[in-house]
Amino acid sequence: MSLPLGAFELTVERQQIPSRLVRMAAPTASVAFGLLVGAVIIWASGQDPILAYTEMAKKGFGGRLALTGTLVLATPLILTGLAAVVAFRMKIWNIGAEGQLILGAVASSGLGLWLGDNGIGGPVGIVLMLGAGALAGALWAALAALPRAYLNTDEVISTLMLNFVALGIMNYLIFSSFSHWRDPGRATFPVGRFVDDSMFLHRFTGRLHIGLFIALAAAGALWWALRSTRWGFEVRVTGDSPRAALYSGMRVDRKILSVLMVSGAFAGLGGGIEVGGVLGNLDPRALSLGVGFAGIVVAALARLSPIGVIPVAILVASFTNAKPGLQVLGIPSEIVTLLEGILFLCIVGGEWFLRNALRLHRRVGPVEAAAS
Amino acid sequence: MNDSVLLLSLASAIVIGTPILLAGLGEMMTEHSGVMNLGVEGMMLGGGVVGFWMSSQHSSVALSLAVGAGVGALFALIHAYLAVTLRVNQIVSGLALVITGTGFAGFVGSSNDSALIYARPQSFLEPVFGESMQDLPLVGPLVFGHDWVVYMSWGLVAAAAFWLFRTRAGLAVRSVGEDPASADTVGISVGLTRYVYTMIGGAGAGMGGTYLMTQIFATYQHGITAGLGWIAFALVTFAGWRPWRALVAAYVFGALRNLGFTLQILGASVPSDVLNALPFVLTIVALIIISARPAAARKYSAPSALAVPYSRETR
Repeated sequence: MSLPLGAFELTVERQQIPSRLVRMAAPTASVAFGLLVGAVIIWASGQDPILAYTEMAKKGFGGRLALTGTLVLATPLILTGLAAVVAFRMKIWNIGAEGQLILGAVASSGLGLWLGDNGIGGPVGIVLMLGAGALAGALWAALAALPRAYLNTDEVISTLMLNFVALGIMNYLIFSSFSHWRDPGRATFPVGRFVDDSMFLHRFTGRLHIGLFIALAAAGALWWALRSTRWGFEVRVTGDSPRAALYSGMRVDRKILSVLMVSGAFAGLGGGIEVGGVLGNLDPRALSLGVGFAGIVVAALARLSPIGVIPVAILVASFTNAKPGLQVLGIPSEIVTLLEGILFLCIVGGEWFLRNALRLHRRVGPVEAAAS
Repeated sequence: MNDSVLLLSLASAIVIGTPILLAGLGEMMTEHSGVMNLGVEGMMLGGGVVGFWMSSQHSSVALSLAVGAGVGALFALIHAYLAVTLRVNQIVSGLALVITGTGFAGFVGSSNDSALIYARPQSFLEPVFGESMQDLPLVGPLVFGHDWVVYMSWGLVAAAAFWLFRTRAGLAVRSVGEDPASADTVGISVGLTRYVYTMIGGAGAGMGGTYLMTQIFATYQHGITAGLGWIAFALVTFAGWRPWRALVAAYVFGALRNLGFTLQILGASVPSDVLNALPFVLTIVALIIISARPAAARKYSAPSALAVPYSRETR
């Protein structure tokens, strides 16, 4: 591909390793471009883009309350981001983190309630509760992983479909049945029963709870596992070349199973943490947030780095946190979702500059071209 | 059993199945060219909200449907640029498009100037055939009781089936989806084909969204599609990438949406949450059955190059 410009021409060349400058500049320029597009839309709708942006930054990060709110929202996003990272590293496209998170919330609230009914609580109860969440997420992922590993069933569609099945299960438990999860005292306006107070995760300041640090530890653990363990090595090799992995004797089918289940466990843990740290019950209104899909974009923007997921998730969460504040100012809060989408599209598109280089050459004449 | 209840619910399955069919058929065209666009839900909302706005301004339903289709195609153009030209991961791009379309619809729908929430479409479509034909037993409500969009969707199914599997142009599209390198060798433009068919998919979604908002619900609300876009996406797989099967599947999925009400009238109670999840369960089951049987897998599986970016240099 080339574009003639007078005596020069602009050519596109593939590059394997982008320079450090480009690695920094490409996402920055993409964000700037996305913000510009967003500003035009806000301006066209009769609002002040500068005001909207400063308010978004203030509501996301300005002050202790805003910051802790953002970090609380970032916690499940980090975990669904990690769920995407581990699967995508092996080119297994788990887009079912949403459903795995929901099943995690179902299992941990279910076990939490049962433990409370039987007089068990405190740290033991919390550990069991979060463990149940992770396990349920892993098992829900296994529903897609088993056919993928042994029948080669496309996991993109099966994991996607399982999201909506999980949503149906959760809604059924709260809205359409008198289940173990539902508060029997509230017949007209169904809500979930709350777990015992001793099962709530420890809170530091404001709404900030220990779940954030569990998510950070999970990111560290995944980083270490991918980098320094045999399992991580095999995941990376299988992702880069499944054939090479097969010929070197790796059990690719088992790897698919384990990777998808680990992925589901991260998301399920996120569901458990939401129950223990934020909600206290199974709340379908709060749990259909789209953090599963957002986690995939977060993972992509973090270029599948477990540590990189953390800052990206916090940034995205700050957007969500700014929503109610904007509405008060008369700016439709949905602008945040729109802006989020535009930024995602721009940054994803900006990745092109990491794989390709634009070079300006003096144009080569036909004779020289033939000679060279 | 009450016959008229059953008949009415089948007829309304066709109505609610129509936006699913329009969007699903579009996505099927897109996927036959080797592009997977997960953004159906976003394109339905984004195209539909503009189509709905048009319907509140102008009495022509055809015009609103065309505007909705056009805006849907523009949303799809973003995906085409990212997926085909920039070759980014199509899953990521598609999901980002869902978020963008949802945000766009919410933003347009809730801006103070337009207040679409309070707006109503200016006109509604009447059934095409006269009273005497609608009163015919059985076929009356099922076949002759619909507006022209339903008949157009049947025509589109026939056209898509003919185009994809009986014409040279359709063969070209499928070859781009199955083996873009070979298609490129014989002179078919892989990029252009994928752009065009991705935009056709967006047009289907935008038109489906407009039909849903203007003719079925006659109102705009935040998140009004309520997962119908995802059902349309599932439809493509459930139908094994075949248009005629999509027609049947769309009405099966539509019937499941209505079944809760029907059963309630008949005295049985199956929670709507369970029924709403059924299309997705059925799709997973169909997918597993097909992949377990090699003969079926060859016939009804996804195009080989689905979601795989193509570049001439690395083929």
